Amino acid sequence: MMHFPSRRAVLGAASAITLLALTACGNVAGGATNTAKYPNGPVTITVGQAAGGSTDLIARAVAESASKTLGAPMPVVNKPGANGALATKEVAGKPADGQNLLLLTASLITITPLAVTPEEAVNLDDLDIIAGLSQDDYVLVASKGSGFNNITDVTGAGRNITFGTTGVGTGSQLAQTVLFKQANVKGTDVPFDSGKPALTAVLGNQVELATIQLGEAMPQIEAGKVTPLLVFSEERNSFLPDVPTAKESGYDVPVAQYRAVAAPKGTPQDVKDKLYAALQETFKSDAYKEFNKKNMLSPKEIPGEEVMTQWKDYAAKYKSLVEKYDISLSGTK
Amino acid sequence: MDFLNPVINGFAVVLEPMNLLYCLIGVLIGMLIGVLPGLGPAATIAILLPLTYNVEPVTAIIMLAGIFYGAQYGGTITSVLLRLPGEASSVVTVFDGYQLARQGKAGTALGLAAIGSFTGGTAAIIGLTFLAPVVASFALDFGAPEYTALAMLGILLVATISSGAKAKALIAGAIGLLLATVGRDVFTGENRFTFGSLELADGIDFVPIAMGIFGLGEILYNLEERHRAAKAPSALANVWPSRKDLRQASGSIGRGSVLGFFLGILPGGGATIASMASYAMEKKRAKQPERFGKGAPEGVAGPETANNAAATSSFIPLLTLGIPANATMALMFGALLIQGVTPGPQLVEQEPDLFWGVVNSMYIGNILLLIMSLPLVGIFVKILRVRAAILAPITALITLLGAYTINNSMFDVTLVVVFGVVGYLMKKFGFEAGPLVLAFVLGSLLESSLRRSLLVFGGDPLGFFTRPISATLLIVFVLVALLPGIRIMLSKRKASAAEAASDTKIKETV
Repeated sequence: MMHFPSRRAVLGAASAITLLALTACGNVAGGATNTAKYPNGPVTITVGQAAGGSTDLIARAVAESASKTLGAPMPVVNKPGANGALATKEVAGKPADGQNLLLLTASLITITPLAVTPEEAVNLDDLDIIAGLSQDDYVLVASKGSGFNNITDVTGAGRNITFGTTGVGTGSQLAQTVLFKQANVKGTDVPFDSGKPALTAVLGNQVELATIQLGEAMPQIEAGKVTPLLVFSEERNSFLPDVPTAKESGYDVPVAQYRAVAAPKGTPQDVKDKLYAALQETFKSDAYKEFNKKNMLSPKEIPGEEVMTQWKDYAAKYKSLVEKYDISLSGTK
Repeated sequence: MDFLNPVINGFAVVLEPMNLLYCLIGVLIGMLIGVLPGLGPAATIAILLPLTYNVEPVTAIIMLAGIFYGAQYGGTITSVLLRLPGEASSVVTVFDGYQLARQGKAGTALGLAAIGSFTGGTAAIIGLTFLAPVVASFALDFGAPEYTALAMLGILLVATISSGAKAKALIAGAIGLLLATVGRDVFTGENRFTFGSLELADGIDFVPIAMGIFGLGEILYNLEERHRAAKAPSALANVWPSRKDLRQASGSIGRGSVLGFFLGILPGGGATIASMASYAMEKKRAKQPERFGKGAPEGVAGPETANNAAATSSFIPLLTLGIPANATMALMFGALLIQGVTPGPQLVEQEPDLFWGVVNSMYIGNILLLIMSLPLVGIFVKILRVRAAILAPITALITLLGAYTINNSMFDVTLVVVFGVVGYLMKKFGFEAGPLVLAFVLGSLLESSLRRSLLVFGGDPLGFFTRPISATLLIVFVLVALLPGIRIMLSKRKASAAEAASDTKIKETV
């Protein structure tokens, strides 16, 4: 029979572990407070999406590289909920000292307000944008069973077409509903929870079309299991050079997902400059470039003010498109 | 052999030192909580869910699975030695196991249980290995209509098969369905029951519900119950059963494996029902049924085999269809979701390492349990002396800390506390938590799949019958729904000869 460890031994081991943990934490904090006035301790990046998704991966890639330049740890904190509105509202309410940053997605500003009540929508004026990061393109794919090989097959089909979207109030839904209206095609909008189940439904011929983010669709496109019909970016995507844009095909519906780093409104200019410089260093690093390539992201590394104007323009454009074609992103059913 | 390649690769995954370690930790924790009455595997998994957040998905699930089947072994020990079932699924083992112990044959009983558990578990893994790829080959045929039919069937079975009071199970199920409607409507963006709170826009997260109802609820309930009078364990001798005992029990081990396997797959089934059904079957088949309750080896071997087989086979619907068959599997479902893995028919193809790693870890886990269960009996019995006053605050603290870490949200902690109180009250007033949690998981699946199917069918409900899989499932649904009615009609005809069947009501806490 084995000897059961005595209470003292267990307590001893436990306190030793606690002590170790405490000293480890102490080192990190001590190292950071001794540097210049910013950053003063860890710089947190909050992500409004769950860990493991593309937005989260981007935040982690940025944090890994930028923390070296800033000389402070940059923990990534996931606070998913309401398409990211929860995290955005939380960070917007934090002190504007640059210690709390946000990884912001454009759709939350430009598209989600078209589907939800004004109280739930996020206002871009509550934030300062530090810099834009990248562009994540949407691609329209067709199932093998649909027989569609290009967009004219779709517009000439002369019947009702089912199309999957990645959810209500997403770029995927907006892009397809506007496209269908402009092409005068009748379609049924089938929302899924995210890109993956929508793609699965196309693979299984349960819906004929779906619009999903390129990074998600690429493996199945390369395997020849779904057919890419067009991309919704303004210019052709470098990862899919043979696929036409919606614009080339004669449709005015430029939709993509953009991401940017934001801080609470009123962050001091010198802090913003320091952060901007750190991000520039990140953009230059090979590891970050490789990351973008691997995830099919096109760099869109523009200053914060430019992001601000571009996103506001998109928001206005989408609003007018939706009004022009009398589209409701929510009440259609 | 293309089919065997991923299976063999799965063994390579299990044999990584990290995974082996977590498998060992899992089965050890499982045995421990199996020994402790009150805290069941569902509660433990609920409490430990957030701790698995930082390890690889396959490692996390290997550990959590180990807790589940490990508990089936552990529960036996106290049933036999102290007449104190550590687990609901070991309740029937008390009848003959304790009698054997009083006759000085405690070792025989434990040995038979261990061998039976090992056999049942292993048989179920082999079944799982061959059945999963078959189901997975239909992966792409599983669309919204099929999930609608599956979810309907699942909810119906959960409400009708569960072992407690039917009306209470239905009430709990209805509450689960209601909770599933909270949040922003996926199809219209309309808010339902969110009371203007952005925190509720995505609905109530499954994990805080499970941690509250199973974790905190159980802890609170155990504080109230003071049944743990420490008794001196019976002396242990002749750990290995004699050849005669083995021969006597071999039939029941075989039958228990098959019975447990099928009852485990069924939604609403599980280890507890499997062990009870096996005991009833053994008693019916025996030439001298009067030996039962007085130390019949079959009465220990059969149920212990069946509960392990069921514990293993209940992974089949989860890993192949994404449908949890019982409350513990609902927690596994939550664990996979936390890890960013959506269980479903595509899991076998897309994540073969995860799938086969978890499945094959069960062989290793079962071997570890077989090796550990007998020599460590003495130590496990000593653990019973740990007082609830020490255990409860520690587990409550781990639960609340864990709840915070998942989404870094105090709101989740509040939810855990609220559902902890709900879970406590449910247990106190005899409501089962299982139907609530399962209906919650299946409810949102049912709603979104149904609405999605109707969109695709252009609003025509007959569309469900144009697809072979959904049509078959719906026919099964109708049959199961009508079964009780048919039974009542038949029994009314024989009413004169009817005798009141004594209902053994044992709470399903698996």
